[in-house]
Amino acid sequence: MGVIAERRSAIAAGTSAPRGNFFGQVAMLTWRSLTVTLRDPGTVIPGFIIGVFFLLVYDASLSGAAEFFLRGQSYLGFVLPLSVISTALSGAGVAGQAIVRDIDNGYFNKLLLTPVSRVAILLGPMIAGAIVIVLQALAIIIAGLLMGLEPATGVVGLLTLLGYALLLGMGLSGFIVGVALRTGSPGAVSGVSFLFFPLTFLTATFTPINLLEGWIRTAAEYNPITYILEATRGLLNTGWDVEALTRGLTSSLVIFIITFAFAFWSLKSRTARK
Amino acid sequence: MSNREIVAENLVRQFGNFTAVNGVSFKVKSGEIFGFLGPNGAGKSTTVAMLTTLILPTTGRATVGGFDVTSQAGDVRRIAGVALQEIGLDPLMKSMELLTMQAQFFGASRKEATSRAKELLELVKLSEFTARPVGKYSGGMRRRLDLAMALAHEPEVLFLDEPTTGLDPASRRDIWHEVRRLNRDHGMTIFLTTQYLEEADLLADRIAIIDKGIIQAEGTPADLKAGLGGESINVSFRDAELAVKAAEAVRDMVTKVQIDRRTVRLYLAGAAQAVPGVINRLGTQGLEPISLTLSQPTLDDVFLQVTGQRFEAEPTEDEALPA
Repeated sequence: MGVIAERRSAIAAGTSAPRGNFFGQVAMLTWRSLTVTLRDPGTVIPGFIIGVFFLLVYDASLSGAAEFFLRGQSYLGFVLPLSVISTALSGAGVAGQAIVRDIDNGYFNKLLLTPVSRVAILLGPMIAGAIVIVLQALAIIIAGLLMGLEPATGVVGLLTLLGYALLLGMGLSGFIVGVALRTGSPGAVSGVSFLFFPLTFLTATFTPINLLEGWIRTAAEYNPITYILEATRGLLNTGWDVEALTRGLTSSLVIFIITFAFAFWSLKSRTARK
Repeated sequence: MSNREIVAENLVRQFGNFTAVNGVSFKVKSGEIFGFLGPNGAGKSTTVAMLTTLILPTTGRATVGGFDVTSQAGDVRRIAGVALQEIGLDPLMKSMELLTMQAQFFGASRKEATSRAKELLELVKLSEFTARPVGKYSGGMRRRLDLAMALAHEPEVLFLDEPTTGLDPASRRDIWHEVRRLNRDHGMTIFLTTQYLEEADLLADRIAIIDKGIIQAEGTPADLKAGLGGESINVSFRDAELAVKAAEAVRDMVTKVQIDRRTVRLYLAGAAQAVPGVINRLGTQGLEPISLTLSQPTLDDVFLQVTGQRFEAEPTEDEALPA
C-alpha cells in the first residue's frame, strides 16, 4: 500500500486528522479560484474600470447639487462607498461564473467525488469573489485619493472600509453562488446580478437617509445596504462612529449569513442525488 | 486484503417517468475486472453514478468495498477512484495543480501529493506537458490525465465509465494496458463500462450485458459464448441442392446443422479438429465444397441473442490484441 492509501486509511480509522484539514481545503480552493480567474482576466477587468467610472461620474455629476446637505464634507467621500457597492456585484459574478464553469466542464462532479468538505467547495469561490471585490475597492480608493479624497479616519479607516468590502463581498458572492448552483446557467447568473443591481438604489443612494421621503425611505430603512453605506461614509467623512459601524457590521453579517445559507441549501439540493 | 467487492441489489433509478435502470443486481468480486457492456442509453452511466454516490438509487441498494452507497457515501468516495465518461477537468488548470489538489483532498500532505502527482504523470506519459493548461491537451491526453486523477489516492475500487470512447487505437491500447496492470499489480477491483464488445472481451474477467435498464446476460466471456452452442464449420456449395445433400451426409458427425441457402453450418465442439473428417465424408459422397470457414461465436452473437438486435456501436478499425 502506498503512502497516500495509508494516510487515507489512517484518516478513516480516526488515527489522523478526521476531516483532512478544513482550512487547508478552503485555502486550496480559494487559491485555485483566484488562479483560474487570473488566467481568464477578461471576467474581472471590466469591474475595475466600472468602479472607477462610477466614482468619477457620481462625483462629477452630483457634487454641486449635494453642497446643501454635505455642509463642507466631501462628496467624494460620500459616493466612494456607493461606487464600491455598485461594483461589488460584478466581483460577485466572478464567483458565480466560476461555479457555472465547473458544473459545465465536469470538474464540479470531480470535486463531489472526493471527500473534500462541501462547505469548502462553497467558500473557495466565495472568498475568491470577495478578494476580487476588495481589490476593486482598493482601485476605487486609490482613484479617490488621486482625486483629492482625505479620509477622516486615515489609513486605518481605509483598511476598515476594505474589511466591510470583504464581508459584503462574501455576502453577495454567496447569493450569486447559490443562483449558479440552482441554475447551472451563465445567463441566469448575469441576469440575476443585473436584477440585483437596482437594489443598490433602494437605499440612501445619493443623499443621506433623512432626506428621503415616502416609500423609498421605507425601502431604504429596511435595506441592510443603507447601514453599510452609512458606516463607511462616516469612516471617510466624519470619523469613528462606533454605533454606525456596529450597525453596518451587523447588516453585513446578516447578509452573509442569509446568502451563505441560500448557497448551502442550493448545494444541498444540487447534490441531493434525487 | 481489504474488501473490494461491489454488490448491487435490485438497483432502480427513475428520472421522472423514465426508468433508466430497472432492477439491476450483480456482484463483483475483490480484484476482478467486471465489464458492463451495453449500447448508448442502456443505463450504464446511471448505474456508475449510483455506485459512485453521485446520485441516489430510487430503490434497491448497493455497496462498494462493503460500504453502503447511500448511508456511507463518504467511505465509498474515500476508497473509490472514478473516471466518468464526461471528463471532469478544468481547462484553465495545469496537470500538476489538478493532481496535487486531488491527492490533498484525500488527505495527502503537500509533499506527498507533489510526489504522487509526478509519479502519475510519468505513468500516463504526460510528464512533458506540465506547462500547458489542460484545455490545450488533445482528447487522448485529457483522457489519460482524467485516469491519473482517478488514481491520485490509490483507490481500491476503480470505476471507468467508457474509458476509451473517442480515443484513437494507440491511446485505447495504452488504457487497456494500464487497466490490466492496475488490476494485476495493485489488486484493484475494476468496474468498466464500454460499448465496445472487443474491449469487454479482452479485459473483463466477467461481463454483464445491459440493455434497456436490465441485465440481459452475465458470465465470463467464454461462458457467454459457449452458451450459444459452440463453434461452427461453415461449408458452401455451388447450389442449394448440394448443401441439402451435404447436411444429410454429415448429420451424424455434428450436434446441430443449419442450412442457409448454399451454405451448411455445422455446430459441434472441437470444430477445427473435425474439419478433415468432414472433408473426407463429403469427398466420399462426391460433394465438392467451394469454401469452408470456421467460426467462433462472438460477443456480438451473444448480444444478438440476448437483446434480439445487432450491436450498433462497433469500432470500425480492426485492433484486436493478441490474446
